[in-house]
Amino acid sequence: MILQTALLIGLVIFSVLALLLKDLLRSAISLALASLLLGIIFFRMNAPYAGVFEISVVAGLITVLFVLTIALTGKGEAIHESRLVNWVFPLVFVAFLVIDALVMKSLLGKVPALASGAESGSFGEVLWKARTIDLVGQIAVILAGVFAVLALFRKRDKND
Amino acid sequence: MTNTWYLYVFFAAALVCAGLLGLLGKRNLIKLFIAIEVIGKGISLLLLGTGFAKANILTAQALVITYIVIEVSLVATALALIINIYRHTKSLDIRNLAKLKG
Repeated sequence: MILQTALLIGLVIFSVLALLLKDLLRSAISLALASLLLGIIFFRMNAPYAGVFEISVVAGLITVLFVLTIALTGKGEAIHESRLVNWVFPLVFVAFLVIDALVMKSLLGKVPALASGAESGSFGEVLWKARTIDLVGQIAVILAGVFAVLALFRKRDKND
Repeated sequence: MTNTWYLYVFFAAALVCAGLLGLLGKRNLIKLFIAIEVIGKGISLLLLGTGFAKANILTAQALVITYIVIEVSLVATALALIINIYRHTKSLDIRNLAKLKG
């Protein structure tokens, strides 16, 4: 429990760092570290498949995509973030954390208890048999993403 | 079990709040997208934490994997859009997109 709490605190710290750091490359790497910690948390929650996906896809592939974009856009150094935000962000965030700690427990107590029976079977059965139609939708979403990227990087014809 | 659930929901809410603050305050397009990613991390932590506390970890895991796969295609599309915007406006500033032409 203590290790899990430490991992969660690390996750929040790296996520906030990813938002606050000025260097885009550093913030992308900080986001990758946050993903890595989230993957370890998933492993410790007996969710190995989600952990593997989180570490390999989010911490690996998405970071590569971010670094590639940062390299292609020349780091975008010329943008001045407003100074007010740099002051307000930590203050509002800490205030939210305090309110969160005070209020969340009583809020959770008010959530009506849903029927939650113990699951049976393996992960594969739950993934493939309990949810069939939306997996087809998932494949359609991936195809749509591929076509969107292809359409965005389409070369112009000579006739245009 | 409520204590475990409380722990995960607390940190998920913190992540979503940080992402929303980033979305409201930042001007760089890539920073805005990193903020969206942080919100997504909070949501997947909330899903798996609730599944863990309610002994429904397999369903929660299937949902999180669905979310991660969709996230990848979202990221690829959005970063391609950002690169195209950079080619057109030579800048990553979100305020340049508010200037409409024509």
